[in-house]
Amino acid sequence: MRRRTLLTGLAILPLIPPANAATSVIDDIKSRGTLRAGLATFVPWAMRDKQGNLIGYELDVAKRLAGDLGVKHDPVPTAWDGIIPALLSGSFDLIIGGMTKTPARTESIDFTDAYSFSGVHMAASKKTAPGLTTTAAFNRPDFTLVARRGTNAVPTAQRMMPLATLRQFDDDAQALQELLNGNAMAWLTSTPKPAFAVVDNPDTLYLPVEKVLVGQQDAIGLRKGDTKALEVLNGWIAARQHDGFLAERFHYWFEGRTWLPLVQG
Amino acid sequence: MLGAIAFVALRVETVLVYRWNWAPIPNYLIRWDAARGLVPNLLLQGLATTLRLSLWGMALAALLGAIVAVARISPLLFLRLCGRAYIELMRNTPPLVLIFVGYFFVASQVMPFLPIDTLAKILPEALIGDPRLLRNFLSALLVLAMFEAAYVAEILRAGIESIERGQWDAGLALGLTRWGLLRRVILPQAISRMIPPLCGQFISLVKDSSIVSLVSVQDLTFMANEVAVSSQRVFETWLATAAIYFAVCFTLSRLFARFEKPQAARLMPRR
Repeated sequence: MRRRTLLTGLAILPLIPPANAATSVIDDIKSRGTLRAGLATFVPWAMRDKQGNLIGYELDVAKRLAGDLGVKHDPVPTAWDGIIPALLSGSFDLIIGGMTKTPARTESIDFTDAYSFSGVHMAASKKTAPGLTTTAAFNRPDFTLVARRGTNAVPTAQRMMPLATLRQFDDDAQALQELLNGNAMAWLTSTPKPAFAVVDNPDTLYLPVEKVLVGQQDAIGLRKGDTKALEVLNGWIAARQHDGFLAERFHYWFEGRTWLPLVQG
Repeated sequence: MLGAIAFVALRVETVLVYRWNWAPIPNYLIRWDAARGLVPNLLLQGLATTLRLSLWGMALAALLGAIVAVARISPLLFLRLCGRAYIELMRNTPPLVLIFVGYFFVASQVMPFLPIDTLAKILPEALIGDPRLLRNFLSALLVLAMFEAAYVAEILRAGIESIERGQWDAGLALGLTRWGLLRRVILPQAISRMIPPLCGQFISLVKDSSIVSLVSVQDLTFMANEVAVSSQRVFETWLATAAIYFAVCFTLSRLFARFEKPQAARLMPRR
């Protein structure tokens, strides 16, 4: 889903002492009796419902994992910018927050096998860029694109539409607002957001292309060198893929919005 | 003033394509729970953390600041240099960088020596918040206090140095020791001069405390971000959050103004 470069975080990584390098995090989780899972708010991976409780795809995944390990689930909401340093300094056990596997991140943490698949997609403005049907049509010097800073959408836009001006925002809501205001031609972000935005604003937005621009694999992040935990988690992911749990939860959170009344209105 | 606000509101309405909907916001302040009645929701929980952080932060900053201020006016060159270096370092680096560096370097070095689990058990939740987040809270508190201490130290030093040279000379002539002179002559006068800027510093600490949201302390700013992203009511949430900060800081400034007045009146006849 997201690919923050985590510049601040990465720069100080070598100085953080590894927490419990010798023992497996699985043993820590079991002896403590709770699975502390780090996550950052990102609709619909993890968000707050109207009662202030955390809900979302990642919460379901982490809850089920905790249940299968026979421990309690303890979500640790974390600022996305500092999530990798927080994992390394032991603020929580695992990142279960829809983190996309990237080579840069793999240098500092390990990833399990992928348990969900998303992609970068785009929504365009009917006002400023009507009737376009290819990404190439957006590759024009007089076009402005918007995206959330540090997400995978940024390198995707730079690679596929290098001539257009890319403006980056701190959050997707601001990027979408800029598109709705007619100050940009298209907004790039992770699925399913562009499709949902079009449903919400049918008069102003449309999807220029049907398929995602690039695919992404999201996986559980853990501290380096923990082979036992990797084995356990990969085994768990395989089992939950096999019994359809992950696909069913993915369908609920990403392919429809029956959950929307929990959050809004 | 009102005209300017109305003009901005009008411009926003024409330029911004946004469907305003304030209805969900009150629920994020306080909500109805079937079992417990009215309970604070995310924004008020965040405000409680912000207030805890500010009160403890100011107490700790006052302590650290006093130590640095003493070093700053010490007769020993070495201590003066240390105090000066600390203040200049803290005041001339961005708080954003300090909080990151301080949280992951300094706090992670200090925290293992503190009996966090015992503290979490004995201290009441009203003072420290969720015991599971105590480690995180204390780390951020330490960094915030270190940062504010530099400003507090300068206020204390300026207060002491603002006392006229004649007071020192008179004290010395009476045969007071340096410490006795400071305690009996200088500080009583200096403190009343320090109070107004210290109050101002406290108010700015309430606002500065929002940077700890970067290291995941669940203060008002952190919670506001969660609410804004989840509810998709971005502008409403942030405007409501700004209103909360304003209400707190404005109340504080009115409150402080009340007990600054008698201080000022007491000083007047001396001049």
